[in-house]
Amino acid sequence: MLFNTWGLALSIISLCALFLIATASRTAIRVLRFWDPNSDSSTQIELESEIWLSSTLVMYGLGFQIISLLLFVLAADHFSGMIIGAMCATGSFLANSYGIPVLLIKIAGVFIYGIWIILHQLDIQSEHYPLIKIKYWYLVAILPYLLLEIILQTRYLAELSPEIITSCCAVFFGGKEQLGQNLLGTYSTTGLMAGFYSVAAVLCGLCLYQLSAKKLSAPINIGAGLTWILFFILSLVVITVVVSSYIYAMPYHHCPFCILKAEYHGLGYPIFLTLFLAVFSGISHIIAGFCNNLPGLAAPVRKLQTLSARCALAMLCIFVLLSSYHFWAYILFT
Amino acid sequence: MQTSFIQKHLNILDYALSSLLRRKLKNGGIALIFSLVIFLLASFQFLTQSLETTAEKVLVFAPDITLQRLSAGRQVSLPDSSIGSLAGIFGIRQIIPRVWGYHFDEKNGANYTILGLPADSIQKAEVSLSHGRLPQKKKPGEVVISSSVRASLELGERKSFTLFRSDLSQASFTVVGIFTDNTDILTGDTILMNLQDARDLFRLGDGMVTDLAVSVTNPAETDTIAAKISGIMPDTRILTNSQIRKTYRTVFGWRSGFGSVCLLTALASFVILAWDKASGLSQEEKREIAILKFLGFQINDILALRFWESIAVACVSFLLGLTLAYIHVAFFEGSLFTPILLGWSVLRPSLNLDPAVTFADLLLVFSYSVLPYLAATIIPAWRSAVIRAETII
Amino acid sequence: MNIELENVCKIYNQGKANEVKALDAVSLSVEPQTMVCLRGASGSGKSTLLSIIGCVFPPTSGKASVAGKQISRLPARFLGLYRRQVIGFIFQKFNVLPELSVLDNITLPLLPLGISPAARRLRAEPLLDKLSISHRRNFPAGEISGGELQRVAIARALINDPPFLLADEPTAHLDSKLSLEFMEIVSDLKASGKTIVIASHDPLVTDHRNVDSVIDIHDGCIAH
Repeated sequence: MLFNTWGLALSIISLCALFLIATASRTAIRVLRFWDPNSDSSTQIELESEIWLSSTLVMYGLGFQIISLLLFVLAADHFSGMIIGAMCATGSFLANSYGIPVLLIKIAGVFIYGIWIILHQLDIQSEHYPLIKIKYWYLVAILPYLLLEIILQTRYLAELSPEIITSCCAVFFGGKEQLGQNLLGTYSTTGLMAGFYSVAAVLCGLCLYQLSAKKLSAPINIGAGLTWILFFILSLVVITVVVSSYIYAMPYHHCPFCILKAEYHGLGYPIFLTLFLAVFSGISHIIAGFCNNLPGLAAPVRKLQTLSARCALAMLCIFVLLSSYHFWAYILFT
Repeated sequence: MQTSFIQKHLNILDYALSSLLRRKLKNGGIALIFSLVIFLLASFQFLTQSLETTAEKVLVFAPDITLQRLSAGRQVSLPDSSIGSLAGIFGIRQIIPRVWGYHFDEKNGANYTILGLPADSIQKAEVSLSHGRLPQKKKPGEVVISSSVRASLELGERKSFTLFRSDLSQASFTVVGIFTDNTDILTGDTILMNLQDARDLFRLGDGMVTDLAVSVTNPAETDTIAAKISGIMPDTRILTNSQIRKTYRTVFGWRSGFGSVCLLTALASFVILAWDKASGLSQEEKREIAILKFLGFQINDILALRFWESIAVACVSFLLGLTLAYIHVAFFEGSLFTPILLGWSVLRPSLNLDPAVTFADLLLVFSYSVLPYLAATIIPAWRSAVIRAETII
Repeated sequence: MNIELENVCKIYNQGKANEVKALDAVSLSVEPQTMVCLRGASGSGKSTLLSIIGCVFPPTSGKASVAGKQISRLPARFLGLYRRQVIGFIFQKFNVLPELSVLDNITLPLLPLGISPAARRLRAEPLLDKLSISHRRNFPAGEISGGELQRVAIARALINDPPFLLADEPTAHLDSKLSLEFMEIVSDLKASGKTIVIASHDPLVTDHRNVDSVIDIHDGCIAH
């Protein structure tokens, strides 16, 4: 399905992103080799302006990544109309073994670009550019990641075989349409929801604590970061297994993608947006915490942490409310 | 701090717009060419999209399973007696023998869809008429037509007309009813008649039909029943409704993809042009940037300025291109591209396309037009942003 | 609010074939609220010196501090951020954007600071009045006279209320009457507390009664 319009669009975005990141990596390598803040040589002057090129390229990269993720999900939904046995986007992703890995890589990619931008924003606020080496090693590492994504995506698209009526006689085409194709098996709803709410409560408490107290010790910081990641994964599971079927009002349809559709008022967009923003802000807070002691970064870190803790708290609350609305409405009123 | 961040970007956006207007010729040219590229890409997308939706609308009325006999890979007629061999399959609600084909009327060059059904099935069929009645049993030559067929036959108030058989003898028909216009998508070019009349028109032998329309009790069982039929009648082609639907989508998708590949050359040349235009700065523009930088604009401010300029050009072109594409598809039936998408006329000889533009379509067109353009303008924008402030001293 | 330069050298295109040494071990200090002239022929290095004082680029070596901040090893970004706080600059060729109105030209430095249009106008009005160009505020800058253009350039340099005002050959394109008028304006500014550094070889400027000291520059060195 590479030469389908959707496949083409995905490939074009990927190629554009590759171009952006490859150009940025060129700067990264030059910075890693030649950066010398004490020099007034032409190379150093060029490098100081190339920092801006690379950061702009990565910011565009983030934008492209978000659009590409969204387009990938919408494309899968579209493909489901052509693929044997696929009823919705879930079916398309499961049509071969590359679908889900590409999806996960794309989701992680949003965070990878985002964290780079946070590091960059901190870095450029200190006259010493204290994060410059870390930042550019990180950037160099993004390139193979992106290549992996492109290779898997291309394989996914290439191996996606559409259903076509052939002209030979008496052929029985394709497989059966399966009604309840699901990403995940069944879990205990009560257990999941209890876990979901308790982790959310812990994180709320964490945000409030972060807003009142000044600093967290390194182990707590790491713990907090892991809790955010756990919450992200748990939320995706909860949306897939519990929340979605209450939104669809169909007990056997557990799909995290159909909630993006207009039939369900695009409820998925605010749900996923707030989830991403909450987790991203939470993680930004943690990462900023580790930069606190670098020269010239104390004030920018404090500013960023206040902003991110507030943002994480607000987004977390909205996310929990939005995602549990249909569930509780069903439990309480029917 | 946040308000001043937003205000700063508003200021820069404002400056970007005024700077675009100051260079109307250059930017207007870019916007115009970009609109054209987006128009081509979007027309293609809208055209395929509306063909898909139209096909789906038509297929809603199609039988669950259609049986056709193939000989040498071509469809041939089959005897309606083969219905008997399927009688034992559990789950089949009904099998209707049909004569379904196209008749080319040499007098006015029109192509009609002839649908011949057994008289009792006609009476049960869910068709609505604006006036008149359905053809009745044992009344040869009675037909129901649509108002557009009536117009193309130039019947006026007359009730009877003739069509040529394949041996050039004439078959005469009497109009007894007119379809409502609501089902025009399905019945727009249809002439509905008794099975025997259709056989007579196409010179099919007695008891021969073109296909068998099978309806099933439980749609979820369609595939199982199709498998059983294929076991009993190995020489038939068995088409299920959902397969036809998926095939249409695939074929349209493939064709539009192929078309898009061709159009990508247009996109590529535009991207090169945009890159070139963004790189070629006049002395005046260079001086302006140096002044701005001297006055306290940072590299990222100039990059933001260029970004807003690109966004403004892209938005204008995107809206213009989309609007033109919509008009092209909705009112001119995508006439520029019909040669490439030729073959859909097999579905319906004439289609009124109603492009249902969804968010997904817009995002799709956006991502393969606007994103490459934005990507192409970053490096030239950066090159202009690093012009040194001291060059104006 | 003074300027201190110690052993400042500036080499252009360092590490390339077209390397040029523009300043060689320059040391000077400028006291607050004074008017200092840098005198020298074109190519003597006075523009380079003015640029270093004006935080346009850092010196290659040596120490430079402006208003108490070490600027010698500041990355370009921070130099630019600092420049827009403390320095107002007046150019030889005025460097206004001819298609923008007088008001827009004057308020240009406020755009990246995130100041709203209304607030920008509010800050520009007193300057327009003070320099008596308020009747020209909506004229395109390309359509006003040379003397008015010079006032626009001064107003623009003052819009951020910087403590330092730097001018590079400000009278090169003005007749003697307008040159004297310019000197009167900057004398007033000095009186109101600004520190003023002018690079010029125009006697009307260097010999003006309000100039506190004249520094002669020759081949990138200060002549004593």
